[in-house]
Amino acid sequence: MKRILQIVIWVALAVVAAAALATIALHRGEPISATWFVLAAVCSYLVAYRLYSAFIAAKLLALDNTRATPSERRDDGRDFVPTNKWVLFGHHFAAIAGPGPLVGPTLAAQFGYLPGTLWLIAGAAFAGCVQDFVILFCSIRRDGKTLGEMARVEVSRRGGFIAQLAVLSIMIILLGVVALVIVNALKSSPWATFTLAATIPIALLLGAYLRYVRPGRVLEASLMGVALVLFAVVAGQWVSDSASWSRAFTLSGLALTFAIIVYGFAASALPVWLLLAPRDYLSTFIKAGAIFSLAAGILFVRPHVLMPPLTRFVDGNGPVFAGRIFPFCFITIACGAISGFHSLISSGTTPKMIQRESHARFIGYGAMLLESFVGVMAMVAACAMTPGVYFAINSPAQIVGAAPEAAAQTISSWGYPVSAVTMASLAHSVGEQTLWNRAGGAPSLAVGMAQIFSTTIGGEHLLSIWYHFAIMFEALFILTVLDAGTRVGRFMIQELLGRVWKPIGRLNWYPAILLSSAMIVGAWGYFLYQGVVDPLGGINSLWPLFGISNQLLAAVALVVATTILLKMGRFKWIWVTLLPMAWLVVITMTASYQKIFSANPRIGFLSFANALAAQIAGGQIPAAKIGETQRVIFNQRLDTAVTAVLTIMILVLLGEAIVQWHALLSRGKEPVLHETPYVATQWAEGD
Amino acid sequence: MRGALSNAKGRLKRFWRGLREWCGDAAYENYKKGAMRRGQENVLSPTEFYVEQLKKKYSQPNRCC
Repeated sequence: MKRILQIVIWVALAVVAAAALATIALHRGEPISATWFVLAAVCSYLVAYRLYSAFIAAKLLALDNTRATPSERRDDGRDFVPTNKWVLFGHHFAAIAGPGPLVGPTLAAQFGYLPGTLWLIAGAAFAGCVQDFVILFCSIRRDGKTLGEMARVEVSRRGGFIAQLAVLSIMIILLGVVALVIVNALKSSPWATFTLAATIPIALLLGAYLRYVRPGRVLEASLMGVALVLFAVVAGQWVSDSASWSRAFTLSGLALTFAIIVYGFAASALPVWLLLAPRDYLSTFIKAGAIFSLAAGILFVRPHVLMPPLTRFVDGNGPVFAGRIFPFCFITIACGAISGFHSLISSGTTPKMIQRESHARFIGYGAMLLESFVGVMAMVAACAMTPGVYFAINSPAQIVGAAPEAAAQTISSWGYPVSAVTMASLAHSVGEQTLWNRAGGAPSLAVGMAQIFSTTIGGEHLLSIWYHFAIMFEALFILTVLDAGTRVGRFMIQELLGRVWKPIGRLNWYPAILLSSAMIVGAWGYFLYQGVVDPLGGINSLWPLFGISNQLLAAVALVVATTILLKMGRFKWIWVTLLPMAWLVVITMTASYQKIFSANPRIGFLSFANALAAQIAGGQIPAAKIGETQRVIFNQRLDTAVTAVLTIMILVLLGEAIVQWHALLSRGKEPVLHETPYVATQWAEGD
Repeated sequence: MRGALSNAKGRLKRFWRGLREWCGDAAYENYKKGAMRRGQENVLSPTEFYVEQLKKKYSQPNRCC
């Protein structure tokens, strides 16, 4: 009887998921309630978790709870620490949830709400969660080895090197692009700039408290820090209202670029306890609170989604970024559906802390589902605002025009009415000087979040506080990614250069620290600078480049996973990792090809460079602007080279893996699996 | 009524313990307990342990995009 009831419940959930998905897919004309999005996502996730992840756990991976995990065998209280599965879920989710699932869906909303929402849900269930789960499993069976080490041991030596290089490349591009998102959010905004600047002394204060006053008392220190940060959000309004303070905190894009570069260098070179770690604590608490509040706000307000399911920009001429739905929607939304970067977390600390193999399903597959839900909420927040306002915030001046009236006319002519008066009034209500041309996703997401929050608490007159809270929340955790990424990038550079000259590899030698910090900051700082001076707004070139590199890393992870599973003899179910891998290879190759060779200058790096070169040759560029234009031409060629190198790397790895797969499938080669030997667990069931 | 109260108290306690573990507050206590169980002689001080943990945590990718 109980079994029948269970079947009825799961069938009912599947029917609700299908009905909600059909409703959001087929709805036309009137605005649609956000409740359908929540229902479609939550019911799909529940069904995917109950059925698909259980199938993977049982048939593909054959998780074995009698086998001792690394945290049991090597428990040392430092690296290998057996951790409760709910606590570890929290750690893992806090590590994988970054700005990507917020910014990507906001940018992809230019196609309409439908393509992005479907990709977020289906991509997570069939690709992202699978990658995170399988890589976590593979790492658990190898004492917590990293993706690079697994690629080296299980695929080939070259495979390991390629994975390492791919990680460094993605890190550099990622840091450049997320820094650009901050610059576009803070540009000409004294309130937001002050609030974010205030988080630096707050973090330093916390760092000193945690190091000297109450070592390791993270909870109390973070609560004090969060209170101070919230005060800084309110104090930002006083700064904005004061003529002299406001002038001091009104910075141009270039000034912010240099400030962030200097900050990144300091965060990498200073002791980790002083700035990086306390900022991370602050960011984690605020991130958890803001994500929970956004979910609660959407459920409470149930806003109507005003963006149509598909916009006219499915043709590839979108103002936010150029390119058709295929492949660019799947490149733009990376982290909410599948993110290669997650494989680094799944093969980092999590496998060393997991208590039982069966927990990998809940932590690997489950945490990614939650991340996808964050992406769906961001999509709802972005699409709940009037489409005209969305395009006004996210379109660069070069596309729509610099003057508000001209820009409003251009956007209205696309069929998304907006007026200069509406935008001025909105900017005034959120406490900004202007909201025009703020490409990058952060300001439009903040407007969407602020509208949802203010409907729940405070009404119109708290809109400006909520807007700046949302900007602070996004910028704070982007800066955390920047700090942590710069430091890890520094270690990678030290490790690589240490092979050439040993002293550079020493982690406590200050000249090496300064040199490698300068190198990593210089690398991502250049991409940031390139984005700030880009006439098309930077996001148009850099976000796809980041998406391509992130998805290529996911393809690397799935190549490694497929190889390991074939060695384990799981031929029958190999499509579970093979299909998402093939899909990623197809979309990244197509996107790379188009980004390099497309004849449309807004898509193709080379055609844009050639068009600019032709303009210089034809005397269309004023003499004073020639130097600047030549730099833009150089940047486009640099982006071409980066895309080409990433593509070649994945093709080499794939080629090596295919040779190995053929040998395994034709039984021409005996599989050599590098798992740690089986040791029976000493823990009783339920420990 | 008393049963419900003690049930709620138990849940709150578990939540508090989970929160302290999640944010790292309980890390040193756990390390010390483990060190005693293993009969380890050189036990780190709270400050040494805290700094060592941070150095390890931030030497590999631990914050995603």
